[in-house]
Amino acid sequence: MNDLILKLAKKLYHSSRYRRFKATVRALLTDTSNPYKRYVDVFIIFLIVTSVIILVYEVRHPVPEWMDFYDIYVVSFIFVVEYLARLWIQDDISERIVREYHDAKFLERPFSLKRPLKAAILSKLRYMVTPAAIVDLMAIFPAYRPLRVLRIFILFRVFKILRYTKSINQFVEVLKNKKFELYTLLFLVAFVVMTAGIAIYVFEAHVNDNIDNLFDAIYWALVTISTVGYGDISPVTSEGRAVSIVIIVSGIAMISFATSVIVSAFSEKLDEIKENRIVEQINKHDHFLIICGFGHLTKMFLRQAPERFTRYIILDPDEERVEQARKEGYNAIKEDASRSEVLSRFNLEKNNVTLLAVTGSDVENIYITLTAKSIARHVKVIARASSREMVPKFLHAGADDILLPHEVVNNMIHIAITQPVMYKALHAVLTGHDVARIYEIVADRYDRMEGVTLGLLDFRRFKMIFLGIWRGGRFVFNPPKTTAIERHDVILVIAKEVSMEYFDEVMKERYGG
Amino acid sequence: MARRSILIFGYGNHGRRIAKGLREDGYKIKIVDTDAEHIALATEEGFDAVEKLDLGSDETIASLSPQEYDKVVCVMDDEHYNVFITLSLHSLYSDLHIVAISDSIHTTKKLYMAGAKKVIDMYEASAHKIHNILTKPIATKLLEDFILSKEGIAFMEMTVPEGSSFVGKYTDEVDFSKYDVILVGMVDLELHRGFEFMTTGHNHKIDAGDMLVCMGEVEKLHIFKRIVERSGRRE
Repeated sequence: MNDLILKLAKKLYHSSRYRRFKATVRALLTDTSNPYKRYVDVFIIFLIVTSVIILVYEVRHPVPEWMDFYDIYVVSFIFVVEYLARLWIQDDISERIVREYHDAKFLERPFSLKRPLKAAILSKLRYMVTPAAIVDLMAIFPAYRPLRVLRIFILFRVFKILRYTKSINQFVEVLKNKKFELYTLLFLVAFVVMTAGIAIYVFEAHVNDNIDNLFDAIYWALVTISTVGYGDISPVTSEGRAVSIVIIVSGIAMISFATSVIVSAFSEKLDEIKENRIVEQINKHDHFLIICGFGHLTKMFLRQAPERFTRYIILDPDEERVEQARKEGYNAIKEDASRSEVLSRFNLEKNNVTLLAVTGSDVENIYITLTAKSIARHVKVIARASSREMVPKFLHAGADDILLPHEVVNNMIHIAITQPVMYKALHAVLTGHDVARIYEIVADRYDRMEGVTLGLLDFRRFKMIFLGIWRGGRFVFNPPKTTAIERHDVILVIAKEVSMEYFDEVMKERYGG
Repeated sequence: MARRSILIFGYGNHGRRIAKGLREDGYKIKIVDTDAEHIALATEEGFDAVEKLDLGSDETIASLSPQEYDKVVCVMDDEHYNVFITLSLHSLYSDLHIVAISDSIHTTKKLYMAGAKKVIDMYEASAHKIHNILTKPIATKLLEDFILSKEGIAFMEMTVPEGSSFVGKYTDEVDFSKYDVILVGMVDLELHRGFEFMTTGHNHKIDAGDMLVCMGEVEKLHIFKRIVERSGRRE
């Protein structure tokens, strides 16, 4: 028996198909960044809503048979499957068994299934007693028809929605942070209600017809303290009224206390919730920009092409600057990008992220570069340095590109003075005005461009200025017309945007791509 | 080229590098700053025409006789000063060629209003560079190397003199590849349009006084420049 289970566990453990399947199911049910989870969520919510509609409709109308069938079997069946799936992904029994087997072999102790099974079952049980799991289980019960009272458990299906809607989760999350205050309040209310209830019971139980027992008295106290005041029970003696006065006054205090606790919890958490949402949004894309620091450079950068880069997020530790960025309509959150925890929130490993370290300080920028590179090597980092002396440090930290705004400006001033005409040309190319832009044409983009000579491409016809070819990490300036294009070549040209578009069109037609 | 003179306001972050670069190119330089430390540094680094001035009044500025300089560069560390100096200079001598540095869009606007001919924004080019790095990394790197002539390839502008063999030719006729240079653009005086890239596709007629902007290896450029200028004398 042991051997059979071990064999099965080993087989499962080593089956990549099984693991993949499990990972997919897990992603569908729990990974919020999975794009398909949405559909699962919407589907389940649909089941819940229809089921509740049927419950309400049933109260006064006879329901058709198919509806009953749908409600009892289809919905419940799917819920059972979902429940089991959640239970299944909770822990990996096969892995535990195989591990235990290896441990046992290593320690030369007899292999027993007991230990891994116990651990796995415990872990599953621990999951089963979480509120979410209990709600899931309860939501299945109404399928058992003979017990009418179980019908009300359909309402548990409504609770199930909690799992699928983020806002309610966040609400609960916020309240959790005020646990202490809320417990204090609850205790206080319970205390006052109990005392007042007992007092009124003692004073009026024998004179007031409406108060038969202690439950009535406590019920009255709660209705009064909450300022609801149905009036079905009201005090008739002066002592009773005195008690009323006391609990009405304390009730007002307590309600305002409760309100203030909840409001303050929200105002404290609101920014965080907003930020989380921005981070989640951006994480859904597989490539995006993280801009660290909101200064002049960032502003200029975003202003230059607002339509080109929509997938970005600005991180800045300074409250004021973040506020300003938000006012100008940019996605900014108040975070310190030099902290690993902050950058880890973005899926740096999985996604294709480019990080701009463009704060005003070199120290900060180097630190951010290092932090990003330590999380994921392949993150592309473009860092800003204040002077050329800093460049080796940035290179050492792993920055892929280094910006030297001061040097760029100094060069431009220099050129503006020494070669004013060229300045115009360079300025146009550098700032991408439409007269001319520098373009890279990747030869691999077209299927059959390899081997074609430059003469055949005839850049002049397209009114493009051919500069040269980037080949194998070197730049070949203005090669002769007989040169043939090789694989991975990058051709550099200066051209107008329309020329470039036309060229691309013609090349696609001619060489395919 | 005649020794041209430049008046530089400010010997701070930018002024220092610009002054040095210009000195290498053989310009006559005069440096003015309000900060004694900067002045001391400039003197130490070998500039003789250095003056510490309080730039608050028009008389002191007039005493520099800025109209005698070809160009005036405002690169004080404090942008308020730059705007102020530009404004003072412009009100005194309206046709002065003033080049100024700015570190924000607002300052750029103010400097133009104050009368600067050219305003170079600290971040405009850099910000654009980020865009370029993201979309065309190789070209960006190369272009930068060309500007600093690191790859041995550079841009150069040359004026076509009277009687050059190029006069009267059309740009499409000339085989620039023979000289191993690329004609990037030119100033065609006839058209009064200033600098124009060859990407416009216009077939320019080269006249005396036109300016060609070429790109190529530095030596080839010098050779080509000599050809443009010399051949005229021969014919």
